[in-house]
Amino acid sequence: MNLLLDKTRTLPGRIGLTVLAVVAALAVAEISSPFLAQQWALWIIFGQLALSLTFVWGYGGIFSFGQAALFGIGLYSYGAASINISPITGETYSSLLIAGLVAGLFALILGYFIFGIITLAVTLVLLTFMSSTGSPDYHIGSALLGGYNGMSGIPPLGSLASPLNAGYLLIFVVALAAIIVFILDLLLRRPIGRALVAVRENELRSQLLGYDVRRARLNAFVIGGVIAGLAGGEYAAWGQFANPAVFSLQQAALVIIWALVGGRRSLFGAFIGTIVIQEIQNVMGGIGGELTPLVLGGILILVVLLAPEGIMAAVYAFLQRIGLRVGRRPIASRPTVATDVEEHRPNSAGELLATDVTKSFGGVHAVKTVTAEFHPMTTTALLGPNGAGKSTFFSLLVGRHQVTSGKILLNGRDITRLPPHRRAQLGLGIKTQVPSVYNEMTVRENVWLAAYAKKRNVAESDAVTESVLKDFGITERQEALVGDLAHGQRQWLEIAMVVAGHPEVVLLDEPTAGMTRDETSRTVDLVKQLAHGATVVVVEHDMDFVRQLDSDVVMLHQGEVFRRGTIEELRHDEQVLDIYLGRAVTNASDT
Amino acid sequence: MDMSQAAAIVLSVVNSIALLVIISVGLAVIFGMMGLINLATGEFLMLGAYMTVTFYRLGMGFWVAAILGSLSVGLFGIIIERCLIRFLYGRLAAMMLATWGLSLIMIQVVTLIFGTSTQSLPTPLGSFKIGGYSFSDYSVVVDVAALAMLGLVYVVFTKTRYGTMARAATLDATMASVIGIDVRRVNMLTFGFGAALSGLGGALLSALAGVVPTFGQQYVGNAFMTVISGGAAVLTGTASASVLLGGVQGLVSNASTAFFGSISLLLVAIVLLRFMPNGISGKWGRRF
Repeated sequence: MNLLLDKTRTLPGRIGLTVLAVVAALAVAEISSPFLAQQWALWIIFGQLALSLTFVWGYGGIFSFGQAALFGIGLYSYGAASINISPITGETYSSLLIAGLVAGLFALILGYFIFGIITLAVTLVLLTFMSSTGSPDYHIGSALLGGYNGMSGIPPLGSLASPLNAGYLLIFVVALAAIIVFILDLLLRRPIGRALVAVRENELRSQLLGYDVRRARLNAFVIGGVIAGLAGGEYAAWGQFANPAVFSLQQAALVIIWALVGGRRSLFGAFIGTIVIQEIQNVMGGIGGELTPLVLGGILILVVLLAPEGIMAAVYAFLQRIGLRVGRRPIASRPTVATDVEEHRPNSAGELLATDVTKSFGGVHAVKTVTAEFHPMTTTALLGPNGAGKSTFFSLLVGRHQVTSGKILLNGRDITRLPPHRRAQLGLGIKTQVPSVYNEMTVRENVWLAAYAKKRNVAESDAVTESVLKDFGITERQEALVGDLAHGQRQWLEIAMVVAGHPEVVLLDEPTAGMTRDETSRTVDLVKQLAHGATVVVVEHDMDFVRQLDSDVVMLHQGEVFRRGTIEELRHDEQVLDIYLGRAVTNASDT
Repeated sequence: MDMSQAAAIVLSVVNSIALLVIISVGLAVIFGMMGLINLATGEFLMLGAYMTVTFYRLGMGFWVAAILGSLSVGLFGIIIERCLIRFLYGRLAAMMLATWGLSLIMIQVVTLIFGTSTQSLPTPLGSFKIGGYSFSDYSVVVDVAALAMLGLVYVVFTKTRYGTMARAATLDATMASVIGIDVRRVNMLTFGFGAALSGLGGALLSALAGVVPTFGQQYVGNAFMTVISGGAAVLTGTASASVLLGGVQGLVSNASTAFFGSISLLLVAIVLLRFMPNGISGKWGRRF
């Protein structure tokens, strides 16, 4: 059984599943009544709409309230296109394509500006607009929008001479849904999919590694838009009408309930969720239609309270308990036995210059006119008491905060206004003060995503991962979930991830916090080694650590550069000691 | 343009700003102080309107009915917080969905009790004229009420013991509980206060529009856009977003039709959120 399950994860396995779904639909269409075939076709169409949300939510991390609106756009697009075009072309498949494209385009434009809750407001405005287009003035070509009553006379799917009957329509929608799932599956193995997963799991870390968070989200939203639009087109062909009810809050809620019940962890779950809810609605419709919203509202609340991951998650948990390998898809490739360990050390060290960098929060100057030069192949330690502005300075360098004034140059290029992921791509790597890693993933996957952010090539990323794991001595732990690691081990992993991205300038913010003595001394060795091929800047409180590094020291105090020199010089500086020991300070600016 | 026309335009723009304030300030309190997007906001407005109609029909004056309507929605909010919301703190999406479920249920329950027919109240007070333009006195009451609601929020959160504790809980819930603030109780009261404000908004609207079970849905979109555009700062954020969005909406409505007014509101909100994803007050650093 497990062997069979593993087989379905390979490409031919997926193709096999897709074909299987279509054959099953064929069989159902053959044996069932036209009425049943029609009902199932509708459910699969709705399932595809739910799938669009599951994808956008599960992989884009966007809780979109606008899928129903995109579905509605597809619905009206198919209507308008088919009424206008089909007399010329004699078929309506092209109109379905148009429905998908228009919805995708709409998602692109909308997604450029916003996601989230405002999509609900957009949906409501569309409802108002579409309901008020009753006058014959509102038309697209010869298709009347029809206001509250909607657009009628929409041709069914197929050629005009012989449209698809109920059975063939069912086969068509199942085939399309299966192909979409298949394509999504392929996409998730491509760079675009891996970036999506990275962004979903940890937005900050992904940005700092060089993944474009906004772009990844937009990609997911547009793909979801096309899927919802195609479903909308199919729905128009199915019912041969289009009305504004698709833009109602209740419809929007329904899509979310389908996807929620299915769960966001499984693309397939969207169809299960839809069928379960539609079946319940069928039964309720028999008892008393007016109770339906009550039941839907109740289901929504109960699922949120009791099964927030959806029923597919519960099913998976059960299957895993009885020993089947189902569920989460591994992000990185499986470890291979013999890989040529390539030389992964960065071989071009960068130069990072900060000039008069200032950051104010309201009236507080967290960083004040700091000028610092970090030259290739050097190590600099950044010292200073708590609140001196060290971490804020790092945040400015990597772009988590924007400078109030000043300039930052990387290898002569002005990066002052670049977003974090661009800076990362240009060779800036950071280990943040609080470790930011992918807690829900394995050690190996973490390192792999870091390597992949730079390489964008599976084979090369595999090789880099292999050698980084080995160099950091974490090969035995590679299958451990990162969330289960000790604090010091996560720190160590995060450094490994930074290294896997081959940065030219490495910023380490308190790398040894929470580390054992042994780990700390390994970190010293590592930093020294790193400095052979990169520029290293370290924030540390551990004086022993800084002394062992034997590097230049820049000391910040109250947001300003207070001293520069070697650690020995600073150790004998009375004012420095005053600040560190909290003694009365003779500095005028200190009150 | 003569003086009376200008005055008329100013008055109607002020009106659209005031309307945004009264529909969104309850949502803003809950969003800003608790980080919760209450998707049942529209239904809290609707409930406030129905309660006002009910109290009015029981023979109370409109103003008394409106106050009682508002208070009963506040009480309802406290019950909802105890029975539903408190299980979901820290789960933003879950809270949105649960309140959405609540909104579906509320619409249906109200439909079952009151039916779908429109309940309406006579608009209280008379009207006045500026030049050739006629305005109801009540629209001025709504303007004043909007200001009063903002003032109430200010006073409650800055001048009362509860308000100080609520702001502390917003800034750092853990720290607040460590120094002895009962955060759960504060949250309950905040949700109730926000609900009461929404209820008051609904009560005020009940004299302007026909009250039907889907009453809230006409306003909820605008309320969301205002609050999200305003950002987390309850008072300054909501006020500035209302002025901006309501101002644009009022001006465009005057120049063309009400429909284009709401479209312009949507477009301004969308563009604004592209460049200020955390709303107008997102970078102010002050959460009030």
